Amino acid sequence: MTTIEVAFVAIVGFAGGLAAGTGFVAFLVVLGVIPRLTQLTKTMKWIHAYEWSAVAGAVIGGWMSLRSSVLGASKYWLLPLGMFSGVFIGMLAAALTEVLNVWPILAKRMGMADKVILLLMAIVFGKVFGALFYWIYFVEGK
Amino acid sequence: MKLRHRVQVKPHEMVVVGDVAQMIATDDQLLEKIKQLPVYQIQPHDKNIVIIDVMHVIDTIVRSEKTVDVQTIGPAQTIVEVVYEKKRVSFLSFLFVWLLLFIGSALAIMNFHEDVSMKEMHQHLYTMITGEKTEKPLLFQIPYSFGLGIGMILYFNHLFRKRLNEEPSPLEVEMFNYQQSLDQYVILHENKESMKRIDDD
Repeated sequence: MTTIEVAFVAIVGFAGGLAAGTGFVAFLVVLGVIPRLTQLTKTMKWIHAYEWSAVAGAVIGGWMSLRSSVLGASKYWLLPLGMFSGVFIGMLAAALTEVLNVWPILAKRMGMADKVILLLMAIVFGKVFGALFYWIYFVEGK
Repeated sequence: MKLRHRVQVKPHEMVVVGDVAQMIATDDQLLEKIKQLPVYQIQPHDKNIVIIDVMHVIDTIVRSEKTVDVQTIGPAQTIVEVVYEKKRVSFLSFLFVWLLLFIGSALAIMNFHEDVSMKEMHQHLYTMITGEKTEKPLLFQIPYSFGLGIGMILYFNHLFRKRLNEEPSPLEVEMFNYQQSLDQYVILHENKESMKRIDDD
């Protein structure tokens, strides 16, 4: 490869990474998961550390998946990892229903303001059930 | 005098000044008399929301007590909500909505997993961590599935009925905002006083 080619590939890669990274941050900001977590745990002063943890996670995850690196660690590491990623995706999903304004409309229009918690539980159980069903039965059937 | 933001009345009730406003006066007798002054008779065609403007209330007071001086603070109108016999939401329709949400969200999460190729990602991750290959990394996926539910509950700050801390949850804030916008809307659209001005144009 000539130097120009190398420089060109590097610039394209860098630009692509920049676009994906800004998109990721915008997504996190719109859904407001980090503020919600700091509010729950009352750790506002660590907010910059949280920013860095999101950035570091994205960089390390991106690097490892692209390089197909292998850690060779015990498979029981997957238990906490699975839990953490589940909680994260669960919060994203919850934030998404929030952004789409589903709840107030549902509660007002259907006159079920006092049962919102039960309806929320319907969604939570639905998600857990759907995910378990998908992984244990559905995937195999394909 | 300060108008209340929102009051609830029964159908066919006579709304009196004391219902819609909080008042302070030096003359207690006069105050009691003013509180009983009728402001508005709820009619069947009013449906469930009536807006009472501060001007209307002052008008009522001044007409009966010509000498009083009325000073107002706070909101310029009161939303009077006519509460009819509460029709109970039947258990059947509730069950229907519950099942709708349950099945809907189960399908939605499956579609999401399919959409982002979560299966391949999990297999890849399993290999990344352990160095072994597997078709079904259930060791990762089962905690993931339960974590999904925990994350949603965490976000809404409800452990079933128990709160994790005292701040209002996003859900409650969202409901509040929605109610505020609704109030704002009815104040402008149902208020006969401001409607008149629009008609004059």
